[in-house]
Amino acid sequence: MDQSNKESPRAVEVTLRRFELSDVDAMMAWASDPQVAACCRWDPYESTEQLLEFLRNTVLPHPWYRAICLAGENRPVGAVALRPTGDPRRAELGYVLARAHWGKGVATAAVKRAVATVFDEVEKLERIEALVDVANPASQRVLEKAGFTREAVLRKYTVVKGAVKDMVMFSFINTDPLVE
Amino acid sequence: MDHDVLPMPESTSMDTVTLRPFVLADLDAMMAWASDPVVTAFMTWGPYTSRDALLAFLRDTVLPHPWFRAVCLGGAVVGAVSVTPTDDRCRAELCVVLARAHWGKGVATAAPKRAVAAVFGDLDGVERVEALVDVDNAASQRALEKAGFTREAVLRSYCVVKGRLRDMVMYSFISTDPLVK
Repeated sequence: MDQSNKESPRAVEVTLRRFELSDVDAMMAWASDPQVAACCRWDPYESTEQLLEFLRNTVLPHPWYRAICLAGENRPVGAVALRPTGDPRRAELGYVLARAHWGKGVATAAVKRAVATVFDEVEKLERIEALVDVANPASQRVLEKAGFTREAVLRKYTVVKGAVKDMVMFSFINTDPLVE
Repeated sequence: MDHDVLPMPESTSMDTVTLRPFVLADLDAMMAWASDPVVTAFMTWGPYTSRDALLAFLRDTVLPHPWFRAVCLGGAVVGAVSVTPTDDRCRAELCVVLARAHWGKGVATAAPKRAVAAVFGDLDGVERVEALVDVDNAASQRALEKAGFTREAVLRSYCVVKGRLRDMVMYSFISTDPLVK
Protein backbone atom coordinates (compact mmCIF):
# COMPACT_ATOMS: atom_id res chain seq x y z
CA MET A 1 0.00 0.00 0.00
CA ASP A 2 1.00 3.63 -0.50
CA GLN A 3 3.57 4.66 2.11
CA SER A 4 2.47 8.31 2.13
CA ASN A 5 0.38 9.60 5.04
CA LYS A 6 -1.54 12.01 2.90
CA GLU A 7 -5.26 11.64 3.52
CA SER A 8 -8.17 13.68 2.23
CA PRO A 9 -9.19 16.20 4.95
CA ARG A 10 -12.87 15.43 4.28
CA ALA A 11 -13.89 12.03 5.64
CA VAL A 12 -14.25 9.49 2.85
CA GLU A 13 -17.58 7.74 2.68
CA VAL A 14 -17.97 4.27 1.30
CA THR A 15 -20.72 1.76 0.99
CA LEU A 16 -20.39 -1.99 1.14
CA ARG A 17 -22.55 -4.30 -0.97
CA ARG A 18 -22.56 -7.86 -2.23
CA PHE A 19 -20.64 -8.59 -5.40
CA GLU A 20 -22.27 -9.52 -8.69
CA LEU A 21 -20.79 -11.30 -11.68
CA SER A 22 -21.00 -8.03 -13.60
CA ASP A 23 -18.39 -6.58 -11.21
CA VAL A 24 -15.64 -8.68 -12.80
CA ASP A 25 -14.23 -5.87 -14.94
CA ALA A 26 -14.03 -3.47 -12.00
CA MET A 27 -12.36 -6.23 -9.94
CA MET A 28 -9.72 -6.75 -12.63
CA ALA A 29 -8.44 -3.26 -11.80
CA TRP A 30 -6.98 -4.57 -8.52
CA ALA A 31 -6.92 -8.32 -9.09
CA SER A 32 -4.58 -8.05 -12.08
CA ASP A 33 -2.30 -5.45 -10.48
CA PRO A 34 1.04 -6.99 -9.42
CA GLN A 35 1.66 -4.18 -6.91
CA VAL A 36 -1.63 -4.92 -5.18
CA ALA A 37 -1.04 -8.69 -5.31
CA ALA A 38 2.41 -8.21 -3.78
CA CYS A 39 0.77 -7.38 -0.44
CA CYS A 40 -1.63 -10.30 -0.67
CA ARG A 41 -1.46 -14.06 -0.63
CA TRP A 42 -2.64 -14.46 -4.20
CA ASP A 43 -0.98 -13.92 -7.58
CA PRO A 44 -2.27 -11.32 -10.06
CA TYR A 45 -5.10 -12.59 -12.23
CA GLU A 46 -4.31 -12.79 -15.92
CA SER A 47 -7.78 -13.14 -17.41
CA THR A 48 -11.37 -12.21 -16.65
CA GLU A 49 -12.27 -15.92 -17.09
CA GLN A 50 -9.99 -16.80 -14.16
CA LEU A 51 -11.47 -13.99 -12.09
CA LEU A 52 -15.06 -14.93 -13.01
CA GLU A 53 -14.36 -18.42 -11.70
CA PHE A 54 -13.14 -16.92 -8.42
CA LEU A 55 -16.20 -14.66 -8.26
CA ARG A 56 -18.55 -17.54 -8.94
CA ASN A 57 -16.91 -20.20 -6.76
CA THR A 58 -15.57 -18.19 -3.84
CA VAL A 59 -17.04 -14.71 -3.66
CA LEU A 60 -20.73 -15.25 -4.39
CA PRO A 61 -21.22 -18.21 -2.01
CA HIS A 62 -18.95 -16.66 0.65
CA PRO A 63 -20.45 -16.00 4.11
CA TRP A 64 -19.26 -12.38 4.09
CA TYR A 65 -17.53 -10.80 1.09
CA ARG A 66 -18.33 -7.20 0.19
CA ALA A 67 -17.54 -4.77 -2.59
CA ILE A 68 -16.20 -1.38 -1.47
CA CYS A 69 -17.87 1.45 -3.40
CA LEU A 70 -17.23 5.17 -3.01
CA ALA A 71 -20.39 6.93 -1.83
CA GLY A 72 -22.70 7.67 -4.73
CA GLU A 73 -20.90 5.25 -7.06
CA ASN A 74 -21.77 1.67 -7.90
CA ARG A 75 -18.42 0.59 -9.32
CA PRO A 76 -16.34 -1.33 -6.75
CA VAL A 77 -12.87 -0.03 -5.96
CA GLY A 78 -11.95 -2.87 -3.67
CA ALA A 79 -13.19 -5.66 -1.46
CA VAL A 80 -13.43 -6.50 2.21
CA ALA A 81 -14.08 -10.01 3.44
CA LEU A 82 -14.42 -11.93 6.66
CA ARG A 83 -12.83 -15.36 6.49
CA PRO A 84 -14.30 -17.93 8.87
CA THR A 85 -11.95 -19.81 11.19
CA GLY A 86 -12.73 -23.13 12.82
CA ASP A 87 -14.61 -21.17 15.48
CA PRO A 88 -17.82 -19.26 14.60
CA ARG A 89 -17.01 -16.66 17.26
CA ARG A 90 -13.80 -15.61 15.54
CA ALA A 91 -13.23 -14.52 11.94
CA GLU A 92 -10.34 -12.95 10.03
CA LEU A 93 -10.76 -9.67 8.19
CA GLY A 94 -9.03 -9.04 4.89
CA TYR A 95 -9.29 -6.17 2.44
CA VAL A 96 -7.88 -5.11 -0.89
CA LEU A 97 -8.06 -1.83 -2.76
CA ALA A 98 -7.26 -0.75 -6.31
CA ARG A 99 -4.01 1.22 -6.30
CA ALA A 100 -5.69 4.35 -7.71
CA HIS A 101 -7.49 4.68 -4.38
CA TRP A 102 -4.59 4.11 -2.02
CA GLY A 103 -3.61 6.84 0.46
CA LYS A 104 -7.04 8.51 0.54
CA GLY A 105 -8.60 6.89 3.57
CA VAL A 106 -10.78 4.51 1.56
CA ALA A 107 -9.51 1.34 3.22
CA THR A 108 -9.96 2.87 6.68
CA ALA A 109 -13.51 3.90 5.82
CA ALA A 110 -14.28 0.44 4.46
CA VAL A 111 -12.91 -1.34 7.54
CA LYS A 112 -14.88 1.02 9.83
CA ARG A 113 -18.02 0.27 7.83
CA ALA A 114 -17.30 -3.46 8.02
CA VAL A 115 -16.89 -3.57 11.81
CA ALA A 116 -20.03 -1.45 12.22
CA THR A 117 -22.16 -4.01 10.39
CA VAL A 118 -20.56 -7.41 10.58
CA PHE A 119 -21.39 -8.26 14.22
CA ASP A 120 -25.08 -7.85 13.39
CA GLU A 121 -24.83 -9.77 10.15
CA VAL A 122 -22.70 -12.72 11.20
CA GLU A 123 -24.25 -14.94 13.85
CA LYS A 124 -22.19 -15.70 16.97
CA LEU A 125 -19.29 -13.48 15.90
CA GLU A 126 -17.43 -11.97 18.86
CA ARG A 127 -13.87 -11.36 17.65
CA ILE A 128 -12.59 -10.03 14.34
CA GLU A 129 -8.88 -10.39 13.86
CA ALA A 130 -6.55 -9.18 11.14
CA LEU A 131 -2.97 -10.20 10.40
CA VAL A 132 -0.67 -7.73 8.71
CA ASP A 133 2.92 -8.21 7.60
CA VAL A 134 5.30 -6.33 9.94
CA ALA A 135 6.71 -4.75 6.78
CA ASN A 136 3.34 -3.20 5.84
CA PRO A 137 2.94 -0.16 8.14
CA ALA A 138 0.30 1.49 5.92
CA SER A 139 -2.06 -1.41 6.36
CA GLN A 140 -1.33 -1.48 10.09
CA ARG A 141 -2.34 2.20 10.27
CA VAL A 142 -5.65 1.44 8.52
CA LEU A 143 -6.57 -0.99 11.27
CA GLU A 144 -5.40 1.30 14.08
CA LYS A 145 -7.46 4.18 12.68
CA ALA A 146 -10.46 1.88 12.42
CA GLY A 147 -10.23 1.17 16.15
CA PHE A 148 -8.51 -2.23 16.13
CA THR A 149 -6.22 -3.15 19.02
CA ARG A 150 -2.68 -4.13 18.12
CA GLU A 151 -2.18 -7.26 20.18
CA ALA A 152 1.18 -8.67 19.18
CA VAL A 153 3.89 -9.40 16.73
CA LEU A 154 3.66 -13.13 16.02
CA ARG A 155 7.04 -14.35 14.95
CA LYS A 156 7.44 -16.62 11.91
CA TYR A 157 3.66 -16.92 11.87
CA THR A 158 2.73 -17.70 8.29
CA VAL A 159 4.08 -18.50 4.85
CA VAL A 160 3.24 -16.00 2.10
CA LYS A 161 4.45 -16.83 -1.40
CA GLY A 162 7.13 -19.14 -0.06
CA ALA A 163 8.49 -16.76 2.58
CA VAL A 164 7.96 -17.14 6.34
CA LYS A 165 6.62 -13.85 7.74
CA ASP A 166 6.36 -12.10 11.06
CA MET A 167 2.80 -10.80 11.34
CA VAL A 168 1.13 -8.19 13.50
CA MET A 169 -2.11 -9.43 15.07
CA PHE A 170 -4.94 -6.93 15.42
CA SER A 171 -8.36 -7.53 16.89
CA PHE A 172 -11.75 -5.89 17.26
CA ILE A 173 -14.10 -7.39 19.83
CA ASN A 174 -17.86 -6.89 19.55
CA THR A 175 -17.80 -4.80 22.75
CA ASP A 176 -15.04 -2.46 21.51
CA PRO A 177 -16.15 1.12 20.75
CA LEU A 178 -16.75 1.94 17.11
CA VAL A 179 -14.61 4.76 15.71
CA GLU A 180 -16.59 7.40 13.84
CA MET B 1 -7.06 -25.19 41.58
CA ASP B 2 -4.27 -23.02 42.87
CA HIS B 3 -1.60 -25.67 43.06
CA ASP B 4 1.19 -23.12 42.97
CA VAL B 5 0.37 -21.64 46.40
CA LEU B 6 2.73 -24.02 48.22
CA PRO B 7 6.22 -23.31 46.92
CA MET B 8 7.77 -26.64 45.99
CA PRO B 9 11.44 -27.13 45.31
CA GLU B 10 11.92 -27.85 41.64
CA SER B 11 13.19 -31.36 41.33
CA THR B 12 15.89 -32.17 38.80
CA SER B 13 13.09 -33.21 36.48
CA MET B 14 15.11 -32.50 33.36
CA ASP B 15 17.18 -35.59 34.11
CA THR B 16 14.26 -37.91 34.69
CA VAL B 17 11.62 -36.56 32.27
CA THR B 18 11.67 -38.31 28.93
CA LEU B 19 9.34 -38.34 25.94
CA ARG B 20 8.33 -41.37 23.88
CA PRO B 21 5.57 -42.27 21.44
CA PHE B 22 2.33 -43.55 22.95
CA VAL B 23 1.21 -47.17 22.72
CA LEU B 24 -2.25 -48.64 23.32
CA ALA B 25 -1.10 -50.02 26.66
CA ASP B 26 -0.84 -46.41 27.91
CA LEU B 27 -4.64 -46.10 28.04
CA ASP B 28 -4.98 -46.47 31.81
CA ALA B 29 -2.22 -43.99 32.46
CA MET B 30 -3.94 -41.51 30.12
CA MET B 31 -7.25 -42.01 31.89
CA ALA B 32 -5.63 -40.67 35.07
CA TRP B 33 -5.34 -37.17 33.64
CA ALA B 34 -7.94 -37.26 30.86
CA SER B 35 -10.77 -38.05 33.28
CA ASP B 36 -9.71 -35.43 35.85
CA PRO B 37 -11.93 -32.33 35.66
CA VAL B 38 -9.32 -30.24 37.44
CA VAL B 39 -6.69 -31.12 34.83
CA THR B 40 -9.07 -30.50 31.95
CA ALA B 41 -10.58 -27.30 33.37
CA PHE B 42 -8.54 -25.11 31.00
CA MET B 43 -8.74 -27.53 28.07
CA THR B 44 -11.18 -27.37 25.19
CA TRP B 45 -11.73 -31.11 25.65
CA GLY B 46 -12.64 -33.47 28.44
CA PRO B 47 -12.96 -34.68 31.04
CA TYR B 48 -13.35 -38.16 29.56
CA THR B 49 -15.90 -40.31 31.33
CA SER B 50 -15.58 -43.36 29.09
CA ARG B 51 -12.56 -45.58 28.57
CA ASP B 52 -13.90 -46.49 25.14
CA ALA B 53 -14.01 -42.87 24.07
CA LEU B 54 -10.44 -42.33 25.25
CA LEU B 55 -9.32 -45.54 23.52
CA ALA B 56 -10.82 -44.24 20.28
CA PHE B 57 -8.91 -40.98 20.75
CA LEU B 58 -5.66 -42.85 21.47
CA ARG B 59 -6.08 -45.16 18.49
CA ASP B 60 -7.49 -42.70 15.94
CA THR B 61 -5.78 -39.43 16.86
CA VAL B 62 -2.74 -40.06 19.04
CA LEU B 63 -1.12 -43.06 17.35
CA PRO B 64 -1.25 -41.67 13.77
CA HIS B 65 -0.41 -38.10 14.89
CA PRO B 66 2.73 -36.48 13.43
CA TRP B 67 4.07 -35.57 16.89
CA PHE B 68 2.33 -36.80 20.05
CA ARG B 69 4.48 -37.96 22.94
CA ALA B 70 3.98 -39.56 26.33
CA VAL B 71 5.69 -37.63 29.12
CA CYS B 72 7.51 -40.14 31.30
CA LEU B 73 8.86 -39.62 34.79
CA GLY B 74 11.09 -42.53 35.64
CA GLY B 75 9.14 -45.44 34.17
CA ALA B 76 5.65 -43.97 34.53
CA VAL B 77 3.56 -42.12 31.93
CA VAL B 78 2.43 -38.95 33.69
CA GLY B 79 1.20 -36.80 30.84
CA ALA B 80 1.26 -35.93 27.18
CA VAL B 81 2.82 -33.31 24.95
CA SER B 82 1.77 -32.81 21.34
CA VAL B 83 2.92 -30.51 18.58
CA THR B 84 0.24 -30.27 15.91
CA PRO B 85 0.95 -28.75 12.49
CA THR B 86 -1.49 -26.09 11.28
CA ASP B 87 -2.56 -25.11 7.76
CA ASP B 88 0.61 -23.00 7.69
CA ARG B 89 3.58 -25.28 7.21
CA CYS B 90 5.82 -23.03 9.32
CA ARG B 91 3.60 -23.12 12.40
CA ALA B 92 2.57 -25.85 14.83
CA GLU B 93 0.72 -25.78 18.15
CA LEU B 94 2.05 -27.26 21.38
CA CYS B 95 -0.22 -28.70 24.05
CA VAL B 96 0.90 -30.11 27.38
CA VAL B 97 -1.25 -32.00 29.86
CA LEU B 98 -0.10 -33.61 33.10
CA ALA B 99 -1.68 -35.77 35.76
CA ARG B 100 -2.37 -33.65 38.83
CA ALA B 101 -0.15 -35.80 41.05
CA HIS B 102 2.85 -34.50 39.09
CA TRP B 103 2.06 -30.82 39.12
CA GLY B 104 4.50 -28.44 40.84
CA LYS B 105 7.60 -30.61 40.28
CA GLY B 106 8.95 -29.00 37.15
CA VAL B 107 7.60 -31.66 34.82
CA ALA B 108 5.39 -29.10 33.07
CA THR B 109 8.56 -27.13 32.28
CA ALA B 110 10.67 -30.15 31.32
CA ALA B 111 8.14 -31.53 28.82
CA PRO B 112 8.04 -28.47 26.52
CA LYS B 113 11.84 -28.08 26.87
CA ARG B 114 12.24 -31.63 25.59
CA ALA B 115 9.65 -31.03 22.88
CA VAL B 116 11.25 -27.93 21.35
CA ALA B 117 14.68 -29.59 21.47
CA ALA B 118 13.35 -32.35 19.21
CA VAL B 119 10.40 -31.13 17.19
CA PHE B 120 12.10 -28.78 14.69
CA GLY B 121 14.20 -31.68 13.49
CA ASP B 122 11.18 -33.96 13.30
CA LEU B 123 8.58 -31.72 11.63
CA ASP B 124 9.77 -30.54 8.25
CA GLY B 125 9.21 -26.85 7.56
CA VAL B 126 8.06 -25.92 11.06
CA GLU B 127 9.83 -22.79 12.32
CA ARG B 128 7.35 -21.70 14.98
CA VAL B 129 5.87 -23.70 17.85
CA GLU B 130 3.12 -21.79 19.58
CA ALA B 131 1.01 -22.44 22.63
CA LEU B 132 -2.22 -20.80 23.80
CA VAL B 133 -2.75 -20.61 27.55
CA ASP B 134 -5.80 -19.32 29.39
CA VAL B 135 -5.11 -15.90 30.98
CA ASP B 136 -6.05 -17.38 34.36
CA ASN B 137 -3.71 -20.36 34.08
CA ALA B 138 -0.68 -18.77 35.75
CA ALA B 139 1.09 -22.08 36.44
CA SER B 140 1.09 -23.12 32.78
CA GLN B 141 2.25 -19.66 31.76
CA ARG B 142 5.20 -19.87 34.14
CA ALA B 143 6.08 -23.36 32.94
CA LEU B 144 6.33 -22.18 29.32
CA GLU B 145 8.31 -19.10 30.28
CA LYS B 146 10.80 -21.27 32.17
CA ALA B 147 10.99 -23.53 29.13
CA GLY B 148 12.17 -20.53 27.08
CA PHE B 149 8.93 -19.60 25.31
CA THR B 150 8.27 -15.93 24.52
CA ARG B 151 5.02 -14.39 25.71
CA GLU B 152 3.82 -12.54 22.63
CA ALA B 153 0.35 -11.30 23.46
CA VAL B 154 -2.99 -11.61 25.11
CA LEU B 155 -5.51 -12.46 22.39
CA ARG B 156 -8.86 -11.16 23.51
CA SER B 157 -12.02 -13.27 23.37
CA TYR B 158 -10.01 -15.80 21.44
CA CYS B 159 -11.78 -19.12 21.96
CA VAL B 160 -14.42 -20.89 23.93
CA VAL B 161 -13.32 -23.15 26.78
CA LYS B 162 -15.95 -25.06 28.72
CA GLY B 163 -18.70 -22.81 27.38
CA ARG B 164 -17.00 -19.49 28.14
CA LEU B 165 -15.24 -17.13 25.75
CA ARG B 166 -11.67 -16.72 27.00
CA ASP B 167 -8.74 -14.40 26.59
CA MET B 168 -5.70 -16.51 25.75
CA VAL B 169 -2.01 -15.77 26.13
CA MET B 170 -0.01 -16.59 22.99
CA TYR B 171 3.45 -18.07 23.52
CA SER B 172 5.96 -19.03 20.88
CA PHE B 173 9.27 -20.77 20.47
CA ILE B 174 11.05 -20.17 17.16
CA SER B 175 13.50 -22.67 15.68
CA THR B 176 16.32 -20.15 16.16
CA ASP B 177 15.50 -19.36 19.82
CA PRO B 178 18.09 -20.58 22.34
CA LEU B 179 17.23 -23.82 24.10
CA VAL B 180 17.02 -23.46 27.88
CA LYS B 181 19.23 -25.89 29.76
